[in-house]
Amino acid sequence: MSIRHRLIVWLLSSVLAGGLLAAGVVFFQAREEANELFDYQLRQLALTLRDRIYLPSQLAEVLQGEEALDFVIQVWAPDGTRLYNSHPRLRVPGAVQIGFSDVQGDQGQWRVFAIQQRGLTIQVAQPLSERGRLALAAAWRTLIPFLIALPLMGFLIWRLVGRELRFLESTAQAIARRTPEALEPIAGGEIPEEIQPLVAALNGLLGRLGSALTQQRHFIADAAHELRTPLTALRLQLQLAERAQDASEREKAHGMLREGIARATRVVEQLLALARQDPDAPVEGEAPVDLAELARSVADAQAAAAEAKGLSLAVDAPAPVVVQGERDALRALLENLVDNAIRYTASGGVVVRAGSGPRAFLEVEDTGPGIPPAERERVFDRFYRGEATAGSGSGLGLAIVRRIAQRHGGEVRLLDAKGPAGLRVRVDFPATRP
Amino acid sequence: MRLLLVEDDAMIGAAAREGLRQEGHAVDWVRDGAQAEAAAANDVYDLVLLDLGLPRRDGLSVLRSLRQKGHDVPVLIITARDAVSDRVSGLDAGADDYLVKPFDLDELAARVRAVLRRRAGRGSAVLHVGELEIDTAARHVRWKGRDVALSAREYALLEALADRPGAFLSRAQLEERLYGWDEEVASNAVEVHIHALRRKLDPAVIRNVRGLGYSLAKDG
Repeated sequence: MSIRHRLIVWLLSSVLAGGLLAAGVVFFQAREEANELFDYQLRQLALTLRDRIYLPSQLAEVLQGEEALDFVIQVWAPDGTRLYNSHPRLRVPGAVQIGFSDVQGDQGQWRVFAIQQRGLTIQVAQPLSERGRLALAAAWRTLIPFLIALPLMGFLIWRLVGRELRFLESTAQAIARRTPEALEPIAGGEIPEEIQPLVAALNGLLGRLGSALTQQRHFIADAAHELRTPLTALRLQLQLAERAQDASEREKAHGMLREGIARATRVVEQLLALARQDPDAPVEGEAPVDLAELARSVADAQAAAAEAKGLSLAVDAPAPVVVQGERDALRALLENLVDNAIRYTASGGVVVRAGSGPRAFLEVEDTGPGIPPAERERVFDRFYRGEATAGSGSGLGLAIVRRIAQRHGGEVRLLDAKGPAGLRVRVDFPATRP
Repeated sequence: MRLLLVEDDAMIGAAAREGLRQEGHAVDWVRDGAQAEAAAANDVYDLVLLDLGLPRRDGLSVLRSLRQKGHDVPVLIITARDAVSDRVSGLDAGADDYLVKPFDLDELAARVRAVLRRRAGRGSAVLHVGELEIDTAARHVRWKGRDVALSAREYALLEALADRPGAFLSRAQLEERLYGWDEEVASNAVEVHIHALRRKLDPAVIRNVRGLGYSLAKDG
C-alpha cells in the first residue's frame, strides 16, 4: 500500500471519527439543554395554568386556544374525573405523581409535569421524542461541515502528499543516477527533514563504497605496477638466456631466470594472500591454534633458507600458547615475518618466540639493519620497501601480516631488537575469552 | 662505452648489466639515488641509465640536480612510470630518452646507441674512418671492404677510439671505457686487445705514443 493511500485512509478516517465524536457530543449536550429548556417550559405552563384556573367551570374558557400548542394539557377533578384534555385524540397516560416524571405512553415516552390547585390536578405533557429530534438536528448540523470537508480534504491530501513525496522520487532518481564511477553524495538542499536521515545514511554508504572502490582501484593499479618489476626482470633474464653463447653462460642465465620466476610467483601469491585476507572477508575455520607449535613448524620449514645465508634460526617457545584463529592464516603471518627477517639480515640470526604474557604473542627478532622509527608505520603500506634496503621482497609481507593480525583482533608492532641492532616484530593477540 | 646503471631492483639490475656488457659496454651499477648522484658527478660516464623509483633519492631529483650542477652526461630514463606526464617531466628534467618497463634488452641497447650517436653529432649508425667501417648497431666491422670478426672487448676498444679519430686516449681512459668497477682488469688487458686489433686490421691503424696513449689514424 502506498504512503499516499495510507495517509488518505488514516487522515480521512480520523477526520470522520472526529466529526462523529463532535456530533455525538453536540447531540448529548443539545438534548441536555433541550431537557432543561422544555422542562422549564412545562413547569412555566403548568404554573401559568394554575394561576388562571379558579373554578372548574372556567376551564373551557381559560384553556381556549391551548389546543394548538405542542403540549397536552389535562385537568382532573379531585374525584379523579378528567375535566379537560387539550388533545383528546392523543392517548396520554394519566397523572402518576406531582412534579416531573417520565411516563411510557402508547406512542412513546412522555415528559410530564403535574401540579395541584384547589383539588384540581393540572398535568402538562410533552412527547420526549421531540427533544431527541431537536438534539439530532443539532448533531447533524455539526456533522455536515465535516462531511462536506471530507472529499475536499481527500483531494488536498492526495495532492499535497504527492507533492511532498516528489522528493522521494527525485531522491530515488538521484540514487539511480549513481554509478560505481560516480558516487558523489546526493544533494540534500530541498529534501524534507524526515528524508534527510535516509539521504545522510545513503551518502555515508556511498562515501564508504566510493572509498572502498578507490582503494580497490589503487590496489589493482599498484599491483599491476608492481608486477611490472618482476616481469621486466623475467624478460631481460629470458633474453640473456636466449643470447647465451655457451653452456656456462646459458646455465648462469637459466639460474637468473629461475630466480626471476620464483620472485614473480611469490609476488602473485602474496597478492592473492592479501586479497584473501581482506578485512571484510568472513573468518572461516576458526579453531584453537598452538602458536608455540606453529613457531617450531615455520622455523623448521625456513631452516634451509636461514642456513643458506649462514644465519642461525632459533625458536623460544617453551610452553603451548593456544589462541583461536585460522591456522593457515596465522602460519602465513609467521612465515612472512620469518621470511622478512631472513631476507633482510646479513649476519647473525633470527629468533622466533611464542608466549603468553598477559596476552598471547608471537615475536620475530633479527640482527638485521632494523627499521628507523620514522619509517615503521610506512612499511605496512602495500608495496613499500625500506628506504635503505635493497631486498627483493614483494613489498607486501607486512601488509599481509597486519591484515591477518587485525582479522584475529591482534596488533602488530615494530620494536627495537633486544640486542644491539635489528628489528623485533611483535604480534599481540587479544586475551583468550574463556 | 662506460655506462652508469641506476636500478634498485636486484634482478633487473643484474640482467640489464649483463646484457649491456654483452653489447661491449663497461657497466657500473648503483642501487639508490644518493649513490647515483655521487657516481654520475664523476663525469667518467658516457651515459647514465636512470630508474626513477629509487630508494633514498628519487631519480628525477637526481637528474635535476645533475643538470643544475652542469653535468651534461646523456641520461636515459628506464622506469615503470608510463604516464605521458611522467615522460614529459622526465624529458623536461633533462633526460635524453625515456624507456618504459618492461623493456626489451635489444631495444635498450639500441636506444643507448641512439643516444650516444646523437650526442656525438652523428645521424647514422655507421661510422667511417678511412678504410674502416663500423656499424655500431650491428657491432660489425669492415676493413677495406672485408668483414673482420672482433671480440666484444676489441670492438668496444675500437669504437672508443673511432669516436674521436686522431684523438689520444690513455690506457687508463680506455680501461675506464671498457671495464666496470667490479670487473677484474689484467694490467696489460688494453695492450692485449690493441695487439689483437692491429693483427686483425693493420698495425698502422692504431698509433701508440708514449705518454699520450692510443689513437685511431684519421685516414685509416
